[in-house]
Amino acid sequence: MNRRSRGSSSSSGSVGGASDSYRRRSDVPRNRSNDNNKGGDSADVSFIVGTCSSMCPERERVTRERLRDLSVFERLHGNPTKSSSDLAVKKFCRTLSAADVQASDVRPLPVLEETLRYLLSLMDSREHPFEVVHDFIFDRTRSVRQDLSIQNLASERVIHLYEEIVIFHVISRQRLQSCSGTSISSMHHLNMEQLAKTLTTLYNMYDANRKPDYIYENEAEFRSLYVLLHLNTSSGVMGEPLSLWFRKLTSNLIKSKEMCFVRKLLRSYRNGNYRSFLRTTASEATYLQYCISEPHIREMRSFAVECINNVCYKLQPYPLLRLSQYLMMKEMDVESLCHECGLEIRTDSDGSIVLPTKQTNFCSPKEGFKNYDLIGIEVERESDDMLSKKKFTEICLIFLIRVFKYSDSCVLVGTYC
Amino acid sequence: MAYVSMGEAHRRITEYLNRFCDAVSYQDSSMLCRLLSFSSNSPSLLSLADALNVFQDASSLIRQSDKFSEYGEILAHLFRSLQSYRVGNLVEAYLAFEKFANAFVQEFRNWESAWALEALYVVCYEIRILAEKADKELTSNGKSPEKLKAAGSLLMKVFGVLAGKGPKRVGALYVTCQLFKTYFKLGTVNLCRSVIRSIETARIFDFEEFPRRDKLGTVNLCRSVIRSIETARIFDFEEFPRRDKVTYMYYTGRLEVFNENFPAADTKLSYALQHCNPKRERNIRMILKYLIPVKLSLGVIPKDELLQKYNLHEYMNVVQALRKGDLRLLRHALQEHEDRFLRSGVYLVLEKLELQVYQRLMKKIYIIQKLSDPARAHQLKLEVIAKALRWLEIDMDLDEVECIMTILIYKNLVKGYLAHKSKVVVLSKQDPFPKLNGKPVGS
Repeated sequence: MNRRSRGSSSSSGSVGGASDSYRRRSDVPRNRSNDNNKGGDSADVSFIVGTCSSMCPERERVTRERLRDLSVFERLHGNPTKSSSDLAVKKFCRTLSAADVQASDVRPLPVLEETLRYLLSLMDSREHPFEVVHDFIFDRTRSVRQDLSIQNLASERVIHLYEEIVIFHVISRQRLQSCSGTSISSMHHLNMEQLAKTLTTLYNMYDANRKPDYIYENEAEFRSLYVLLHLNTSSGVMGEPLSLWFRKLTSNLIKSKEMCFVRKLLRSYRNGNYRSFLRTTASEATYLQYCISEPHIREMRSFAVECINNVCYKLQPYPLLRLSQYLMMKEMDVESLCHECGLEIRTDSDGSIVLPTKQTNFCSPKEGFKNYDLIGIEVERESDDMLSKKKFTEICLIFLIRVFKYSDSCVLVGTYC
Repeated sequence: MAYVSMGEAHRRITEYLNRFCDAVSYQDSSMLCRLLSFSSNSPSLLSLADALNVFQDASSLIRQSDKFSEYGEILAHLFRSLQSYRVGNLVEAYLAFEKFANAFVQEFRNWESAWALEALYVVCYEIRILAEKADKELTSNGKSPEKLKAAGSLLMKVFGVLAGKGPKRVGALYVTCQLFKTYFKLGTVNLCRSVIRSIETARIFDFEEFPRRDKLGTVNLCRSVIRSIETARIFDFEEFPRRDKVTYMYYTGRLEVFNENFPAADTKLSYALQHCNPKRERNIRMILKYLIPVKLSLGVIPKDELLQKYNLHEYMNVVQALRKGDLRLLRHALQEHEDRFLRSGVYLVLEKLELQVYQRLMKKIYIIQKLSDPARAHQLKLEVIAKALRWLEIDMDLDEVECIMTILIYKNLVKGYLAHKSKVVVLSKQDPFPKLNGKPVGS
C-alpha cells in the first residue's frame, strides 16, 4: 500500500545496482520497530554518519576491559581483562537518544558487514554450549541493527544484513530446542521477539525502496515466514490478522512460489487437513520455512492423533506403522507422541503395535520443544555431499536448498522437482 | 484560475469573513458547514480561493476589523489552506488546515452548547480527506506518506474534547468512525481490537442513540478513548444519533471478520444491514460484501436474487459450489476472483468453506447410494469418494480421502465412524450430515 516510487531526490543509482548505502531523511516509516528510535522527529534530524572503523569502538573496549565486562568470545587468550580489535564487538545498549551518540561510536556499513560476517561465523563454534553462543550473537546483532537504524541506512546491502540476521534467529530457534537449562525458555521467547522485530524492519525496507512490480531476490521467502508465524489466528506474534496483511502484498509477491506454498499450508492448516499439511511441508519447504513450521507440524500431528482416536472404529485399532507413514514420523516417535497425548498403545496378537481408538483420556501435549523429525516419503536423494552437515554460512548462501541435515539426526525432505 | 480584480477580491473576502463571524454569532451551524467544506468544491469557496490568491494579504483585512480579528488565527490558517488547495498544493493545504482545525477545536471547546457539532464533523471529515490527498502527493514525490497518521492524532484530540459530560458527547461516535476509516486506510487496524472490546463490554455506548452513520470506529486511538469513556461512564448509547450507528457496526463487524469471530461479525453486520437506509444501495452492497462470507461460514446461503440485485457476482460460483458440493467450482471461483477477495480480506474466510463443500458432496453420494441400494447407503467406501472427486478433476489418494473424512467426522460435519481397515465410513442412521445452524464449523 505505501509504495514509494523513486523520486529524483535519491542520490544513488537503481535499487538493484550500486554499492553504497544512501541516506534517506524522512523516508523511514515512523513505526520501525527498532530499539532506539527516540531521537525525535525523523523529518528534521540529520542522521549520524558513523566513523568507527572496528567492530567495537575503542573507548567502549577499553572501558569494558577495565570493568572485566568481556564475553568469553572477546577475551584474548582467555584473559578476562584483555581484548583486541579483532575480538571485541560493540554491545547493545538502550541509548537515550540519537542526540547522545557520537559518530565515533557508530560503525559505518562496511564495518557492520564485516562485524556480522564475523558474528555469524561463530555459529559453528563447538567450544561453547550453544546457549552461550546464541546469547553473544543475539546481543551483538542487536547492536548491529541499532547502528543501522541510528544512521538510517537503507540499501540492498542493508537488506541482506537484515536477512542474515533473520536467518540467525530462525536457526537459533531450531538449535535452542536441543539445549536445556532454566533460561532456555526465556531465551527462546526473546529470540522470537527479536525475530519479529527484525522481520518488521526488513519488510519496511522492502517496501520503502521499491520500484513498481519489483520484488527483491529473497523477499518472497522472507515474507512467507510471516505467514508461517501466523498460521494460528489466535497467536499474533506480530499483531496483525493475516487477512489484513495479505491486502498489502503486491500481486507479484502473492503469485510467487514461496507465497503459494505457504498459502497452501495455510489452507491445509485451517481446514485441519494434516495429511496435506505434512506432505506439502515435506516436499516444498525450504530450510527456513521448515524451521518456522516445526511447532505447527507438531500441532498437526497431535491433532491427527486426536481425530483418529476420536473417529475410528473401536474394533479396529490403528496400526502405528500406518500412523507413522501418515504422520511422516518414525514409528518409535509415534509411540512417544501417543504417550505425550495421554494415549495408550498395545501390541496386537500378530505382534504389531496399535493404537486402540476411542480412548477417553486424550490431552494435548504440553508446550515444549520436543519435535520429531519429518520423514519424507517421496525422497529423491541429492548427492551425498549435499547431505553432509551444512555450515551456517553455507546455509546463509544457499538457504533455499531443500535437503538438509539438522544436527545429528538426518531429516530427509523430499526434493521438489 | 479566473481573473479577479483587486476590488472584487476584497469584496469576496470581506463577504466570507462576515458570513463566518455571523455564523458563529448566530450559531448557524449549517452556514458554518458550507463555509468549511473544501471538498465540496462549491463555487463560492473556489471563487473565494481565487480572490485570496489575488489579494495575497488577507491577514491585513482580518486585522482591520475587531469583528474579524476575534477569529484571526482560525481564519488566517483557513485562508492559507484554501489558497494552497486551490492551486493543487495539497501537502501545504493539509498543514494549514491542521493548524486551522487545532485553532477551531480550541474555540469549539469554549462554546457552551453543542451548536457547532455538525461543523466540527465537517472539519473532521475534511481533514481526513485532505490528509489522504496530501499523502498521495507525498508518495508520488517519493516521500513518506505521514499526513493521514497525523490526521488520526488530531481526530483523537477531537474525540477527547467531545468525551466529556455535556451535550457535545453525542458527537463522539462520528469522530470514532472517522478514526476507523483513517485506520483502515492506514492498515493499522489491529489496534481497534481492544478499543472495540472496551466499548462493547463496558456497555457505555447504547447504539440506539448513535447516529446511524457513525457505527465504525478507529482502531488504535479508540483504545484509550474508549477506556476513558468506559471508566468515566460518560456515554449512554441511547443518546447517540441514529445515523452513525450503521457505520460503526459496519467497521467493527469487518474487524470481527478479519479476526474470524463469525458470530460477532454476523451480529454487527446484520445490524448494519437492518438499519441501513434501503435507498443507499452502495452502502448495502458494502455491508453484504462482508456479511455474505460470514453467513456462508455459518451455513446460511443467500438467494441468487440478492447477489444479482447488489451486483455481487463474485460470490455466485462460491454459493453454487456450496449448494452442489462442487469442490472444483469453489477452487476455481477463489482463483478467478483471488485479487478481489484478497484485497477485501475475505479470501481466507472463503477458503475455509471447503469443508462444507466436502460435506455437501458426501451427502450427494449418500443420496445417490440410497436410491440404488438403500440397505447399504450408509456405508461410504473411500474408493467411491475418491472416484467422485476424480470426476470433479480432483486427484486424491485414499490416504488423503481418509484424512478428509476423519476431519469431517471430528468436526461434526459428518456423523459416523471410520473403519479404516475396511476403508469405509459408516454413517450414523440418524442425521448423518448435521446442519451448521448458525455455528461456525468445528468450534
